[in-house]
Amino acid sequence: MRFFRNKRLFIFLIGFILLVALIGYTFRDRLELTLAEEIINDTVGWIQYVIHVPVDFTIDVISNIREFRNIYEENQILKEQVSEFRSLLYEVQEVRKENKELRNTLGLLESDSIRSHEAIHATVIARSPERWMEQVTINKGREHGVDANMLVMTADGMIGKVQSANQFTARVKLLTGFDQFNRISAMVSREDKRNIFGMIEGFDEETGSLLFRIIEESDQDIEEGDLVVSSGMGGVFPAGVPIGEVKEITTDQYGLTQIALVEASADMYEINNVVVLDRSVEKVENMDEDVDEGEDEEETEIEGEQEE
Amino acid sequence: MKKIYLPLILFVLVIAEGLSINLLPDEIALSDYLIIAHWVLAFLVYIAVYYDTEDTYYAIAYAFIFGLLIDIIYTGVLGVYMFSYGIVMYIIHKLLKLLQRNIYVLFLFGAVAIFLGDLFIYMMYAVVGITGIIWQDYLLIRSVPTLLANLVFFLLLFPLFRKRLVRWSNEQLDQSN
Repeated sequence: MRFFRNKRLFIFLIGFILLVALIGYTFRDRLELTLAEEIINDTVGWIQYVIHVPVDFTIDVISNIREFRNIYEENQILKEQVSEFRSLLYEVQEVRKENKELRNTLGLLESDSIRSHEAIHATVIARSPERWMEQVTINKGREHGVDANMLVMTADGMIGKVQSANQFTARVKLLTGFDQFNRISAMVSREDKRNIFGMIEGFDEETGSLLFRIIEESDQDIEEGDLVVSSGMGGVFPAGVPIGEVKEITTDQYGLTQIALVEASADMYEINNVVVLDRSVEKVENMDEDVDEGEDEEETEIEGEQEE
Repeated sequence: MKKIYLPLILFVLVIAEGLSINLLPDEIALSDYLIIAHWVLAFLVYIAVYYDTEDTYYAIAYAFIFGLLIDIIYTGVLGVYMFSYGIVMYIIHKLLKLLQRNIYVLFLFGAVAIFLGDLFIYMMYAVVGITGIIWQDYLLIRSVPTLLANLVFFLLLFPLFRKRLVRWSNEQLDQSN
């Protein structure tokens, strides 16, 4: 009897140590998964994709029926917008052409711009039932060119970044799960004045919005309704991807810097098709090696870093 | 061959959990309330009550295996679901020795398992720092809604699996003895 009691205690302690070790080893944002995890993720991902197709179809049909009610009004608004966009399209075409010519005269390649990127289209095949994790799984992996730390967006704007890539699937961390270790260097574009630069410092649960901290040196005249886009200065993401709209402007807890509450422009709940953006310009990596260079560019350091 | 039924059902439930958010109406999914699917845990309670005998530990073994699978596929933090589900099923297994196996006990244990399972997950995530909400908020926005939603699923399983599990138990566990 005594032996059994000891055995039970023994198993309990071993289990506890195993638990602490497992969680301790894995709770950080890992870029690389172990081989076993990758194999399981890829296998399950394939099955998830097969199941996902009919389920998605039924959900689509149901939501389509719901949407029929609003179609007329939406149609009117969209028609107006289309006519606006037509003139905009012409303008963009001209500007693009001009930009290309100017680039040619300067001898710069298209891929030198931090705006340029390669797009990889993917489908969301599962969403983590654990809501605190804010993760979705997509059906493209390293085989298709997806890698950790790439930006993920829908047609409306940024939704997150690739947390870790397996061979055929990848895990995407949504903006709503971003914390101080996942910063995005962002900006508000101004036509006649200097652009406003800052950093998205994570998601605030209470207000349900992203915190956009404006760096002190830049102009402070940010307004509600301004569009915040990625600036590409973090050295990881491409520039010019819309993130959200400024909802409210406050100061931080010390009253020194301005913080804008940004409402994400993409819908974080209903995500089906996404685009993974691979920045064409070389990313800033090996940041530990050239520390002296990185130090005067604070943004560069922080965004790229995963493990603090 | 029939022994593969249970793991297969559990595996399908794991995959179905990844689509579970789509089943919620938009009003709930977009609100502050968090509803987490614990379908695997719900089915494990059925296994513990109707399939396992006092000397078999299938429910506990499956809890560890499929808990780990959920960790790998959906969270990336290994061990949390694995040990939460495992410990809960161990407690249920111990409690089953005290009580008769009938429908009231089944629903009582279903509620206890889902409540405790989610509580353990919350405690581990709180210790690690993945979530920072205080326990009053946890009870209000996550624990209670999750419990209610999963009990609905728990009820749905009853007509589907009660008799089957008893039959499988008789066929498979008698043979092996």
